[in-house]
Amino acid sequence: MEKYLSLHFERSTPLGLEEARAQGRYATAETVLRQKAPDEVIEEVKAANLRGRGGAWFPAGVKWSFMPKEPQGPSYLVVNADEGEPGTFKDRQLMEKNPHLLLEGILLASYAIRAHTAYLYIRGEYLASYRALVQAVKEAREARLLGPNLFGTDFHLEVVIHRGAGAYICGEETALLNSLEGRRGEPRPKPPFPAVYGAFGRPTTVNNVETLANVPFILERGARWFRDLGAPTAPGHLLFGLSGPVRRPGVYELPTGTTARELVEEHGGGLIGGKALKAFVPGGASTGFLPADALDVEMDPETLRERGTMLGTGGIIVIPDDVRIVDAARVFSRFFRHETCGQCSPCREGAAWSDRVLARFARGEGHRDDFDLIEDIARGSTRRTICVFPEAFAGPMLSAIRHFRDEFESGVAAPDNPTSVAHQEA
Amino acid sequence: MPTLTIDGQSIEVPSGTNLIEASRQIGVDVPHYCYHPALSIAASCRMCQVELHQEGAPPRVVVACQTEAADGMTVSTDGADCKQARAATLEFLLANHPLDCPICDKAGECDLQNFSYWHGNAQGRFREPKREAIKRTSIGDHILLDQERCILCTRCTRFMDEYAKAPQLVVAGRGDRNVITTFPGEKISSNYEGNLADICPVGALTLEEFRFKSRVWDLTHQDSVCPSCDRGCSIRLETKRNRLLRVRPRENPNVNGHFMCDIGRFGLLESCNPEHRVSSLRQLDDSSNAPNAVDLARELLVTHAGKWLILASSRMTLEEAVVVRDAFAPHLAPDGLVFISAAEQPGDDILYTGKQAANESGLRLAGYRECTLGEVRERVAAAPDTALWSFDGDVAGQVLVQNRTRFAAIMDCWNSSHGQEHPDARPHDVDLFLPALLFSEKNGTWVNRDGVLQRLRAAQRAPVGTLSIAELFAAILDRPASSPGCPDRTHHSLGTLGLNRLPLSQIPATGIPIDSLRAEVAAS
Ligand SMILES: Cc1cc2nc3c(=O)[nH]c(=O)nc-3n(C[C@H](O)[C@H](O)[C@H](O)COP(=O)(O)O)c2cc1C
Ligand code: SF4
Ligand code: SF4
Ligand code: FES
Repeated sequence: MEKYLSLHFERSTPLGLEEARAQGRYATAETVLRQKAPDEVIEEVKAANLRGRGGAWFPAGVKWSFMPKEPQGPSYLVVNADEGEPGTFKDRQLMEKNPHLLLEGILLASYAIRAHTAYLYIRGEYLASYRALVQAVKEAREARLLGPNLFGTDFHLEVVIHRGAGAYICGEETALLNSLEGRRGEPRPKPPFPAVYGAFGRPTTVNNVETLANVPFILERGARWFRDLGAPTAPGHLLFGLSGPVRRPGVYELPTGTTARELVEEHGGGLIGGKALKAFVPGGASTGFLPADALDVEMDPETLRERGTMLGTGGIIVIPDDVRIVDAARVFSRFFRHETCGQCSPCREGAAWSDRVLARFARGEGHRDDFDLIEDIARGSTRRTICVFPEAFAGPMLSAIRHFRDEFESGVAAPDNPTSVAHQEA
Repeated sequence: MPTLTIDGQSIEVPSGTNLIEASRQIGVDVPHYCYHPALSIAASCRMCQVELHQEGAPPRVVVACQTEAADGMTVSTDGADCKQARAATLEFLLANHPLDCPICDKAGECDLQNFSYWHGNAQGRFREPKREAIKRTSIGDHILLDQERCILCTRCTRFMDEYAKAPQLVVAGRGDRNVITTFPGEKISSNYEGNLADICPVGALTLEEFRFKSRVWDLTHQDSVCPSCDRGCSIRLETKRNRLLRVRPRENPNVNGHFMCDIGRFGLLESCNPEHRVSSLRQLDDSSNAPNAVDLARELLVTHAGKWLILASSRMTLEEAVVVRDAFAPHLAPDGLVFISAAEQPGDDILYTGKQAANESGLRLAGYRECTLGEVRERVAAAPDTALWSFDGDVAGQVLVQNRTRFAAIMDCWNSSHGQEHPDARPHDVDLFLPALLFSEKNGTWVNRDGVLQRLRAAQRAPVGTLSIAELFAAILDRPASSPGCPDRTHHSLGTLGLNRLPLSQIPATGIPIDSLRAEVAAS
């Protein structure tokens, strides 16, 4: 299988401009800017059915087509490089190893949506990514690959790099926009959607790093080529993350629809120390748990939705059978409790409350009616808030209980246990 | 104008109306916390959920505050799904809420109590220890913050940002560590602080001035108008045992929107609860009693016939201004009806105008002329037999000190008592000192700077011996004040000013533009 996204991942330093150009970088941008109209770019990306790699899998071309065709004032591209989903570490590879690929994708997307400024919002902890991109932007600007009159056309583009300050919620696109503007990183109520009212109140498209990295190849090789890769409903290669106690954790470029088993066993080399698999998280913390017997599932958005979960970011986390599921769930619930922005009452209180209930189960102080309570916390918060964060914290706890109910039962305090009504701090 | 159906009732609303306001128009209250009509939409408390059925889309639960009415919508505010959603939101909000109700100033007018009662579950399921946070901290000159009671609706931060234009309150932290706070080491400073206690739906922001003074259900309230500047904000005076304990703005789109300033709110607590209320009629050389006031005044009127110069007060009501004018009419010196316009203090561009001139517009309407203190002094100096009757103790005091003139009478509407207690004033400078009703003790109308006629209602009983200007002069004119079935004084006063007549009881709570009374006269 020919790789295209992860060609330089084994490098220890970013690929410089000269080398990148030698490998064909910016050639596609040059041809497209000179020969194609913005709407032709959008049509090509639509035809390729490139779906967003940030987790929601929304078709990129469709999103671009919401942008004004004859903008009155500035439109913006905002690149989501906040990569905060636990189990996900693929965007950083792209940025640290092949920053010019991302820049070329940014150029093409900006051209398509008629934006002349692109903001690149990089996760605060990603210092190496930040440095690589600052350098790449400098190189590109010096080589007149950014700035005015690109490739002799009248298209111009500036890229502004902005570092986040360490909040997971700022990966949600409208929280990201608030943060970018210097406001509190809280998702905005929608509508209005970013394509109407985005960064600084202007029409804006937000795209994930990996989404944009696919764009130069689609325009170079054509939509047909792309559509023939991977799962028909969500074509292309995906940078799968693999973490947990496997022999070879890392980022693997594979077609969508690859089975989890192939990832874990073939590419990851199986579990270390002969451990058995208990469960796995298919696509980042918020996608919850699947039991070991689901390992043959094909990793594409539709198949996983049928299994009651999501492909998310494609970050697989392996849970071995010597880890109690309640402890694994608690790792996530603590994370989500910590990271909800907290503006919506059901999310703020629900994330904290359910974390405290799980903590009691972990201490063996669960109650029989806590099972209903957790269901009700999920029911009262999911689809009831500004963003989908409650879905994220509810996923792990609901799936943990659904697939491993017996383990939770053993966390219920025995009736004759004098400590059964636990009033210690969670 | 979209037409939609809410709980089976069809209604047409202006486009842009959200579902909370649309429901309100048919008398349906959708419970809400973060929504406030004067502030931007946060859509974060998730209390206002309703069910929305729209052509071509499956029914769904939406927040009413953020959803604009659209043609063909069918909204249900009491379907099973939204009831369940609201109960869930309440359960979340109550989980960590302290059980402070017995000692909380807000109890009785708290939306967390109210909505829990109407929409919540009877039983709590929260087993964990409650979250602890700062219980009482002073965040400004008037406001105490209790972070434990706060439900993080962000009305207060949005109010400070958007309305008070003093972005000094913030949400700090993330998730369940969120708290409302000020910038480190700083307090808020604004002339609009007091409103925070009103807009906070719970008892997280309370007034130092009202703290533990009364349970709210023990308060008696009356609608009135703030006298502290000529904006004339609609207010409600809240008293207990005749003591004014709290002043709150009344919603009035014609005048003040939803709010009022602190100069008005807290100033009134002092000026309406005077430690030394001037309450006894005094004829300064020998003491007399109230029942003689009419005789004394009538006698004075005749003694000084043709010499009267009346110094009116902007705190007189329109009715008082008219009856005084009528009583003195045969006895006035030429150009004898004047008032000294209040000095302009610095105002702000929100509500406070800086001009303490509650009813100056009304005085003008009744034929009083604005003049300066200097002008009065000159007139008195030029004609030493001028008989002065001042309804403003402060102004009288200044004339007295400068001119060493003699006042026939001072009938003070301010309780300022300067007329008799100014250090330089000699007692025998004033023939008669008559304490009058304060604004909070009388009924009548004021006209604000923008020509809106509003109604004052007496919220406090005046001490024995205090006189009503209106009644005193009506008696001099031998005109009954008003009796059942008779047109009242407001009706009469408006008529004598050539305006459309309207009895006091028919003046709407939000007032009425004087011009509309004129227009109707012209039209008919
Ligand atoms: C809580 C939350 C966190 C998110 N974090 C990220 C993130 O770190 N990176 C990202 O690309 N998308 C993230 N997203 C998804 C974005 O909101 C958005 O859908 C995405 O950036 C769109 O880009 P795409 O269409 O190219 O995938 C997050 C969404 C939510 C609700
Ligand atoms: S759902 Fe949660 S994370 Fe999303 S906006 Fe509301 S409180 Fe913030
Ligand atoms: S202090 Fe009151 S107004 Fe402010 S966020 Fe808390 S509950 Fe809302
Ligand atoms: S009032 Fe609508 S969400 Fe708060």
